[in-house]
Amino acid sequence: MTNPVLEAIRTRRMARALTGEPLARAELEAVLKAARAAPSAGNRRLHRFIAVQAPLTLKLLRMVSPGMFQRPSAIVVICIDRAKAESFGMRPNAKGLFVDVGTAAQTMLLAAHSLGLGAGVVTSFSQAAVSAVLNVPEGLSPEMFVCLGRPAPTQPPGMPTRGRVTWESLTQWERFPSAPHV
Amino acid sequence: MAGKMVLSEDEALELVAFLITAARTQVDEAAEYGSMRLLTAAGRLAELIAERVSPETRTFLTGPLRQIPDLAVHTADPARYVAALDGVCRALGEHLVTHFGLDRKES
Repeated sequence: MTNPVLEAIRTRRMARALTGEPLARAELEAVLKAARAAPSAGNRRLHRFIAVQAPLTLKLLRMVSPGMFQRPSAIVVICIDRAKAESFGMRPNAKGLFVDVGTAAQTMLLAAHSLGLGAGVVTSFSQAAVSAVLNVPEGLSPEMFVCLGRPAPTQPPGMPTRGRVTWESLTQWERFPSAPHV
Repeated sequence: MAGKMVLSEDEALELVAFLITAARTQVDEAAEYGSMRLLTAAGRLAELIAERVSPETRTFLTGPLRQIPDLAVHTADPARYVAALDGVCRALGEHLVTHFGLDRKES
């Protein structure tokens, strides 16, 4: 069974080598528009996106992001709006806050892929340093970068697999079997 | 002359920023990232100085040091990862002996 959406999901890869060619503003806006359509717990929309295209800002963000191997032409910083979350009575580490970071990121990755862009996520950065670089207001916490650009023709090897992983190996149908009685 | 080689302030700051922020992110991340970050830092320093060093050092920086992929981690294949790191360390040791003339002082 296949269709264009399944094919896009199947062929998407983390892009860790980008050409440095600038993105059109319209391309970045299309990715951000897709993020607006991502699932959000309770439709509360507790996230904010910071879109960065200025070369010097991109350079400084890379300096404080040890996990950023690529040199992106644009970055979307996904932030949690902590003040707004608190207004809903949510704890700071409520899982829904972080789940929604993931749904927004995956939606942007697929949107970028559909536009022929290279995209990859980065969480290995100093939140304090990123907040200083971007002058992030109190109450917003930067949680994840979606790095965007034109994919280089050759990509470096990705993270190695640890054994063979299939959808079957990741799936348990129905209930887990009971432990044998001894 | 390699002996007078210095990084520019911008280059040095980039490396300092990487090391400081890596120290912070490592607190929250998988232990296996520790080696990876150190190798990334070594690789970035190598990129910054490669054009300013002696041909022999450049050969090490662009050869053995680049043999380990950027995203290699030890859990995928511990024996192979350690062997690869030992290979780099061995090449480094051999280069240090030659570069600092230890072999010449002994003869």
